[in-house]
Amino acid sequence: MAHAHTVKRHKGLMDWLTTVDHKKIAILYLIAGGFFFGIGGIEALLIRVQLAKPMNDFVTAQQFNELITMHGTTMIFLGVMPVIFALMNAVIPLQIGARDVAFPFLNSLGFWTFLFGGLLLNLSWILGGAPDAGWTSYTPLSSTTYSLTHGVDFYTIGLQIAGLGTLIGGINFLATIITMRAPGMSFMRMPMFTWTTFVTSTMILFAFPAITVGLVLLTFDRILGANFFDVAQGGNPVLWQHIFWIFGHPEVYILILPAFGVISEVVSTFSRKRLFGYSSMVFATILIAFLGFMVWAHHMFTTGMGPVANALFSIATMLIAVPTGIKIFNWLFTMWGGQIRFTTANLFASGFIPTFVMGGVTGVMLASAPADYQYHDTYFVVAHFHYVIVGGLVLGLFAGLHYWWPKMFGRVLNEKLGKVEFWTFIIGFHMTFFVQHFLGLIGMQRRVFTYLPNQGFDTMNLVSTIGAFLMGVGVIIFLVNVVLSFRQPKGVAGDVWEDGRTLEWAIASPPPEYNFKQTPLVRGIDAFWKEKMAGNKEMTPAEPVGPIHMPSPTILPFMMSVGLFIAGLGFMFTNDDFGNSVLNFLFGKYIITGLGLAITFGCMLLRSLFDDHGWHIDPDELNDKEVKAS
Amino acid sequence: MSTPHPQQAAGALPHEPEKATLEGRNKVLGFWLFLGGESVLFGTLFATFLTLRNQVADGPSASELFSLPMTAAATFILLVSSLTSVFAIQAMHRGNRTSLARWLGVTVVLGLAFLILEIYEFAEYIIHDGYGMTTSAFSSAFYTLVGFHGAHVLFGILWISILIGQLFKKGLTVVTAPKIYVSAMYWHFIDVVWVFIFTVVYLLGKVVG
Amino acid sequence: MTDHDLDGGAVKHRHRQEGPQKHVVAFIFSIILTLIAFATVAAGGVNTAFTVLLLLVMAVLQVLVQLGYWMHLKDKGHMIPIIFMAGGFFVAGTAIVAALYWMWW
Repeated sequence: MAHAHTVKRHKGLMDWLTTVDHKKIAILYLIAGGFFFGIGGIEALLIRVQLAKPMNDFVTAQQFNELITMHGTTMIFLGVMPVIFALMNAVIPLQIGARDVAFPFLNSLGFWTFLFGGLLLNLSWILGGAPDAGWTSYTPLSSTTYSLTHGVDFYTIGLQIAGLGTLIGGINFLATIITMRAPGMSFMRMPMFTWTTFVTSTMILFAFPAITVGLVLLTFDRILGANFFDVAQGGNPVLWQHIFWIFGHPEVYILILPAFGVISEVVSTFSRKRLFGYSSMVFATILIAFLGFMVWAHHMFTTGMGPVANALFSIATMLIAVPTGIKIFNWLFTMWGGQIRFTTANLFASGFIPTFVMGGVTGVMLASAPADYQYHDTYFVVAHFHYVIVGGLVLGLFAGLHYWWPKMFGRVLNEKLGKVEFWTFIIGFHMTFFVQHFLGLIGMQRRVFTYLPNQGFDTMNLVSTIGAFLMGVGVIIFLVNVVLSFRQPKGVAGDVWEDGRTLEWAIASPPPEYNFKQTPLVRGIDAFWKEKMAGNKEMTPAEPVGPIHMPSPTILPFMMSVGLFIAGLGFMFTNDDFGNSVLNFLFGKYIITGLGLAITFGCMLLRSLFDDHGWHIDPDELNDKEVKAS
Repeated sequence: MSTPHPQQAAGALPHEPEKATLEGRNKVLGFWLFLGGESVLFGTLFATFLTLRNQVADGPSASELFSLPMTAAATFILLVSSLTSVFAIQAMHRGNRTSLARWLGVTVVLGLAFLILEIYEFAEYIIHDGYGMTTSAFSSAFYTLVGFHGAHVLFGILWISILIGQLFKKGLTVVTAPKIYVSAMYWHFIDVVWVFIFTVVYLLGKVVG
Repeated sequence: MTDHDLDGGAVKHRHRQEGPQKHVVAFIFSIILTLIAFATVAAGGVNTAFTVLLLLVMAVLQVLVQLGYWMHLKDKGHMIPIIFMAGGFFVAGTAIVAALYWMWW
C-alpha cells in the first residue's frame, strides 16, 4: 500500500513529463499552444508579406500554398485549441470546487498526444514539404494525383494523433464537470465558463469522431490505394466535404464557446454585477451547440446541393444569430449600470463584443445562399472568419489569460503594458481584416498567391499587411509582459481582482497541489461572492480536514504518445523507396509502425496491470502548506 | 479524496462493486461518454458505406459477394457472446469470482470464433476472388467499415483476456470490478454495431444490392 | 430533471438480486428478431421497400434490447448516459440521412 511519504516525487524536467496535476498540464498546454501560435503567426506574416504588393515573388506559388495550409491548420488545431485547454485545465477544477479532474492520467495523455501530433505535422517542413491542399484538404486536390509530396500525409496522420488528444480532453472535462462538482453546486449554479466548457466538450465528443473517420479515409486513399474519393473507381469527392464539415462546423463553435464563457466571467467580475440573464445564457449556449451540428452544409452552397437543401441550411444558419444575439445583449446588460473597471482583461472583453458582432453580421450575410455564390472563396470569407476567430476567440483568450494569469502563476501581468498591447493588437486587427471585406467584394480570391496591379487591390493589401505586423507587435508586447511578470516574486492575493465571484478566487494564487484543503460548500450562483456578501472571508467547508488522496505521477502518457508518433511516421513512408534495403524493409513491411503501436499498447497494458494507488497528503502537512501558501 | 481506499473496501464487496468508488463511477460514466463518441465514429463509417455501396466499378456487387449462412453464423456467435457477458456481470454482482471468470472466458472464445469467421471471409474475398481494398469504392468502404468493427472485436478479446488474468492475480475488488463492467459495456456496444452491420451491409446488400 | 437523476452512475439503487431469466428472455427475443430478418431475406420475393423497412425495424428493436436491458440504460440513474448516447446516435443519424439524401438522389 502506497503511503504518503514513499511516493517518488520527480524534479525538474521529469516532473513536467510525468505530471498529472491539472494546473501543471494547463501550463504545458499554454507553452505548447503558445509555441504553435507563434509558428502560425509567422506563417501569417509571410503570407501578408507576399501579398503586400502585386506580382510579388517573395515566395513561390507552392510555398504560398504550404503557408496558407499550415497557417490555418496550425492556428486552429495546434494554436488556439490548446490555449483553450490551458484555460480549462487551469480553471475548471477550481471553479467547481474539485481537487482534480476525473481522469488525471487521461488528462496528461491528451496533452502529450496533442503535442506529438502537432510536432509530427510541423515536421513536414523539413521532411519533404508541408501540406498544400488548404486546411480543408478538399479532394481531389489532396489526392496523390495532385499533391505529390508527403505533405497531406503529415496533415492526416498528424491531425489524427492531435485529434485523439482533443477527444480525450473533451471526455475528461465532461466527466469532471458531471461528477466532481462540490456539494451544493447544481448544474444551474455552475459558473458560465464551466457551462461553456461542458457544452464545448460535448461538441468535441460528437464532432471529432467524424474527422477521425474522414482522416482515416483520406489516409487509406493515399497510402493503401483505397477509392473513397477517386471518381474513376466510383469514389465521391463531395463525401469528403460532408465529413469534413460535419466535423468542421461544430469545430468553430468548439472554438468560440469557451471564449463566450471567458467574456461572461470577465465582464461580470469587472462590472461588479451578477451576469445578466444567466439561465438564458445557458440556454443560448446549448442552442448554439445544437444548431452548430445542423448547419455544416452552408460551407457547401456552391457544390450543387439544390435549392431545397440550400434554403434549409440558409435558414438554420441565420437562426444561430438569435442565441448569439441573446448573449451579446446579456453582456451589454451586465455592464449596464455596473461599476466597470477597465482592466486589461476587461478591455479585451469589451473589444470582443463589437468585433464579434461585426463577424456575426457578415456571417448572416454569408448564410444567404444566393449571395454566397458571390462571396464564395473571396477575401470576404477570409475577413468573416478572422473576425469571429481572431476578433472573437483570440481576444477572448487574451482576456482570459490576463484575468487568470495571477491564479495560474501567482503574478499579475503589468496593466499599463497590457493596455498598450490591447490597443496595438485591436487596431492592427481591424486594419488587417476590415479592408479584406472590400477586397473580397471587388473580387480578390482567397488562396491565390499573387494578383495583378491596378485592379484596386494594391492599397488595401498594403494596409492589411501593415495591420498584420501591428498585431505581431501586440503579441510581442504580450510576451514582454509575460517575461516581466516572472521577474516579480510569486504570491499575489488569492482574490487578486478583489471582486472575484467564483470559487477559484477563494483559494491561494497559485493554488496548492490539492486545490482545496476542505471541499467548499456552495450556497448559490457566484458562490464566493455570496459568501463575501454574507460577511465571510472564506468558503464554508463541506467536510472536516482529512488526508487527501492524490494520483501518482507517471511517464506512461508521454511514452504512449511517442509510440503513436513513431507509428504515424512509419505508416506514412510505407510506399517510399529509400534506396536502402534495410530502410525499405523497416518501413515497407510496417516494422516501424508495429514498433510504435507496440510501445503505445504496451504502455496501456502496463497501466492496466499495475494499479495506481496514489498517495496521501496528511492533515498536518496541509496546515504546513497553507501557511506557506498564504 | 473522500473515496474509500481500495484495500479497505476489499473485505466486504458491495453489491455493485463497479460503482463503489468515485474512480469506478467516473470510469463507467467516462466510458458511456466514449461510447457516445464511438456511435458518431461508426455512424460516419456507415454514412460512407451507404454513399458508396453501389459504386462497384468492375468488381462484384454486394449481392454477388456475400454468403448469408456465414453472416448468420457470425451473428449468432456474437449474440450469444453478448449474453455470456451479461451472465459474467451477474456473477460479478453475486461476488462469484470463479463463475465470473468462466463466463468471461466463454465470451472471449466466442469472440475469437467470430473473428476467425471474419478473417476467413476476408481471405476468401481477397485470395480467391482477388477482391481487395483497391478494387472499387464499394470494396474500400466495405473493408473499412467491417474491418473497423473487426479491430474492435480483436481489441475486446485481448482486453477481456487480460482482465481474466487480473481477476486471478488481484481478485475481484473495487479496482478490478469497474474494469470488468466497462469491458462488458464495450462488448455489448460491439454487438450493437454488428446488428447494424449485418442489417445494412449484408442483408440490405442482398435485398437492394 | 433533478440533480439526483443527472448523477450518472452515482445514484445507488439496489435492484433485486436478479436471476438470468430476464436476460434469457431478452436473448430469445433478439434471436427471433434476427431470424425474422435473415429469413425474410433468404426467402426473397417480398416487396423490396417492405423488406428494407422490416430489416431496419428489426435492427432498431434489437439495439434497444441491447442498450436497455443488457447495458442497463432502462435502469434508474442513467440520465447522463442516455443523453450522451442519444446525442451520439443523433449526430450519426444526421450524417447518414445527409449521405442518403445527397448521394443517392
